[in-house]
Amino acid sequence: MSEERICVGVLGGAFGVAGEVRLKSFTAEPEAIADYGPFETEDASRSFDMQIVRPVKQGFAVRLSGVRSKEDADALKGTQLFVPRARLPQLPDDEFYHADLIGLAVMDTGGAPLGTVRAVLNHGAADLLEITRPGSAQTALLPFTQTIVPTVDLTAGKIVVEPPEGLFD
Amino acid sequence: MTRSVWKGPFVDAYVLKKAEASRESGRNEVIKIWSRRSTILPQFVGLTFGVYNGHKHIPVNVSEDMIGQKFGEYSPTRTYYGHAADKKAKRK
Repeated sequence: MSEERICVGVLGGAFGVAGEVRLKSFTAEPEAIADYGPFETEDASRSFDMQIVRPVKQGFAVRLSGVRSKEDADALKGTQLFVPRARLPQLPDDEFYHADLIGLAVMDTGGAPLGTVRAVLNHGAADLLEITRPGSAQTALLPFTQTIVPTVDLTAGKIVVEPPEGLFD
Repeated sequence: MTRSVWKGPFVDAYVLKKAEASRESGRNEVIKIWSRRSTILPQFVGLTFGVYNGHKHIPVNVSEDMIGQKFGEYSPTRTYYGHAADKKAKRK
């Protein structure tokens, strides 16, 4: 798990002419992205320290280490920023990072495979796990509650579910 | 314009009927409904409704803080996935 990296933002090119870069944050609290630095590019060829200068429309203007001019900043347009998964803080029991849940195998209580977790959604009620059925493009949504998802085993890479009747119809 | 108090909250009759039948049976099931306009009533707390969004039924676990809202508010008609990043899910 510690080898995994997570995309936390994307650079949007220069902001102004003084070498500032426009950043779009993907974190739950957008300004919390600065706490996770330093950041790597997708191919891990470059690493940046970051300082948020000010909030701008749809993101932040930031200063990155090694970026001094508008041309340097423009060259980074579209670059995704990654951090190691291990850098995210520990969570209490019954709280999980979406990144950890996505990709887990879903089994019923008898051990039969029901699919894999594709996404975690929240529409205002409980969190929902979107599950891709094996051999099908169809997905099913499962409320992420103690009664419906009694076991989450991150080390084994699986969750055990007791779906209500009619959920996988 | 707000709804007159004397009318009470609006709920489609079939939703009430299905919810009552589910509660009496005590089965763990998703109650499929198409009525996005129905108000969530106190007697729906603890039940799971599958609220239609024009494409599929989105499971909605009704909790106390949802009373008075409409079912449609919890079943969006468009889905945006976004990035996982450091987002968290809590098992309730």
